[in-house]
Amino acid sequence: MMAMLKRMGGLLPVLALGLVLLGGASARTEPPGCGAPQEALESGPLPGTAAALGRGELRVMVVGSASTQMGGTSGPAATWPERLRAVLGARVAPANVRLEVFGGRGTVAADHARLLAEAGPAFRPHLIIWQLGTVEAARGLPADEMSDTVQEAVGRLRAARGERTDVVLMDSQFSRFFRANADVESYRDRLRLAAAASGAQMFSRWAVMRHWAETERLDLERAPRAGRVAAADELHDCVARALTEFVLDGVSRARR
Amino acid sequence: MSGAIGSLVRPGRDLRVDVIRGLALWFIFIDHTPGNLLGGATLRNIAFCDATEGFVLLAGYAAGIAYGRMLEREGWLRAAGRVAGRVGTLYVAHIFLFVVFTAQVGFSAAALDQAAYLDELQLDPFGQEPYRALLEALLLRYQPAFLDILPLYIVVLGMFAVVLPLVARPGLLLLASVALYAATRGFDLAPPSWTGSGWFFNPFAWQLLFAIGVALGRADPARLTRLFPWSRWLAALALLVLVVGAVTLNWVWHGPVRGFEAPEWLAAWMADVDKTGLHPARLASVLVMAWLVGHLIPAGAAWLSGPFAAPFALMGQQSLPVFCASIFLSFLGRVAIETSAGWPMQVAVNLAGLAALVAVGVVAAWYAEGSKRRPPALPDVAKAATR
Repeated sequence: MMAMLKRMGGLLPVLALGLVLLGGASARTEPPGCGAPQEALESGPLPGTAAALGRGELRVMVVGSASTQMGGTSGPAATWPERLRAVLGARVAPANVRLEVFGGRGTVAADHARLLAEAGPAFRPHLIIWQLGTVEAARGLPADEMSDTVQEAVGRLRAARGERTDVVLMDSQFSRFFRANADVESYRDRLRLAAAASGAQMFSRWAVMRHWAETERLDLERAPRAGRVAAADELHDCVARALTEFVLDGVSRARR
Repeated sequence: MSGAIGSLVRPGRDLRVDVIRGLALWFIFIDHTPGNLLGGATLRNIAFCDATEGFVLLAGYAAGIAYGRMLEREGWLRAAGRVAGRVGTLYVAHIFLFVVFTAQVGFSAAALDQAAYLDELQLDPFGQEPYRALLEALLLRYQPAFLDILPLYIVVLGMFAVVLPLVARPGLLLLASVALYAATRGFDLAPPSWTGSGWFFNPFAWQLLFAIGVALGRADPARLTRLFPWSRWLAALALLVLVVGAVTLNWVWHGPVRGFEAPEWLAAWMADVDKTGLHPARLASVLVMAWLVGHLIPAGAAWLSGPFAAPFALMGQQSLPVFCASIFLSFLGRVAIETSAGWPMQVAVNLAGLAALVAVGVVAAWYAEGSKRRPPALPDVAKAATR
């Protein structure tokens, strides 16, 4: 018995090495962006971001509602904006990524537009990630107003900063509960139109998260209660990874 | 079974209207069940307008016929009283659906065990101020998502009761209606709402579609054909406009095609097409379709009374109970699709939903028939069921 265990013991490092290799291989088979669908990771050109990366410093301004703050994660460092700073930062090194988060729980497009007007000129961002639409849909606020606010705010930004600032809109998190109880599609339609009308890009977090839920890759609503914080952490990390792919796609298109 | 359903369809009416109304009701059920895969196949995906426009236009059409006749026979007071009674029924139905909706949201929230990550969803007014929300719902100033068509219908029908004498003077009716529509869009008129959320459908704008329906319903078909004659070129142009509209709409929505992005001016124009105030593009879209359908489908087409169309004709003829049932059933469908959105559930929800809507139509038609000549005759369907 002892001899057998000893022989097994000798085998253990080999087994462990094999597992690590296998694990590494399976991690490598998942496409970047946590396997988000390719069409959701395609952006139009982001000239401001590309130019800033060429100069060595990218200033990113994140504006949004609750998910930019805590969003059920284990702490501020695990939220998607902070993960974006880390993941995007590592991908564009040696360029430096400076990222600041504005907004808060329950804020709507009009609040965000005010923040952009107030804090924008001092921070002079090259890339604005504007997450919105959840609170509007949950409260049934007028979708027309949301659309107008976005178009006006992006129009003002472009008048002031031209091609030096890119805007990426981000829609709601996917949720079956949300989908069933609010008219989410109407708001997503309006956001897509507002982005196309104002020259902003649209990162559909909804489509990406729906894909993860349908393929059982990541599903916060079905995660057991005990593992929910860990699932939220992974979700935010994956949103940041998908968003990184989206931004880098826009950068490469601008350089073409 | 289909023959039995056909026997319940009231003859002597324009079956095209009933069938399309029935289809619109079915689309409303589908579009009110988010996550339903059939939702990708309804009108809203390819046109500026959707089933709501069709429903309101044809509701006006049916009202024009029914209350117009009543006006001639019984006078304004009696006819207006009937319309008011209808408004009362709609109001009670709306409040009932509101209660069902609230219960369903509560059930879903408990069943899915809401996590903090979507805590913004708990900002709904009913959770925060239930007593106030109940009062505001009774005043129609609070309308949760998907409970917005009946309030529109209630207010539009209420206005119709007042201007009922104008049914005999459709030109004047349309003039007044266009004036209100223009004033609503020009001066941003809107009925009051709680929490600043506004009405999803502004009744002061949407009444125009209903009034057009009334005028069409009252008009002599021969005169209509003379006013809006068939022209092959015009029809080709109309089809082209609809197809180009469908393509550009999807182009702007779904982003660049082979690297070609939709021009910003086009997207900006589309972003301005609002549903709340019935944007002229939406109005034009539904009217062009009505013109095409009116000419392309002959009123006496045999398939209209065939086995596939009969259930829809029946649903269209019993529109109020079927509409309320479709909203009610969509709540159940939502809970079901929340639980599982796979193929078996999709098929089950859609089959059960349509079957239930047809069943409601059958029962309502039987009941209506029975209340006309007592004792009610057992229809063939029920006979078949008891056999």
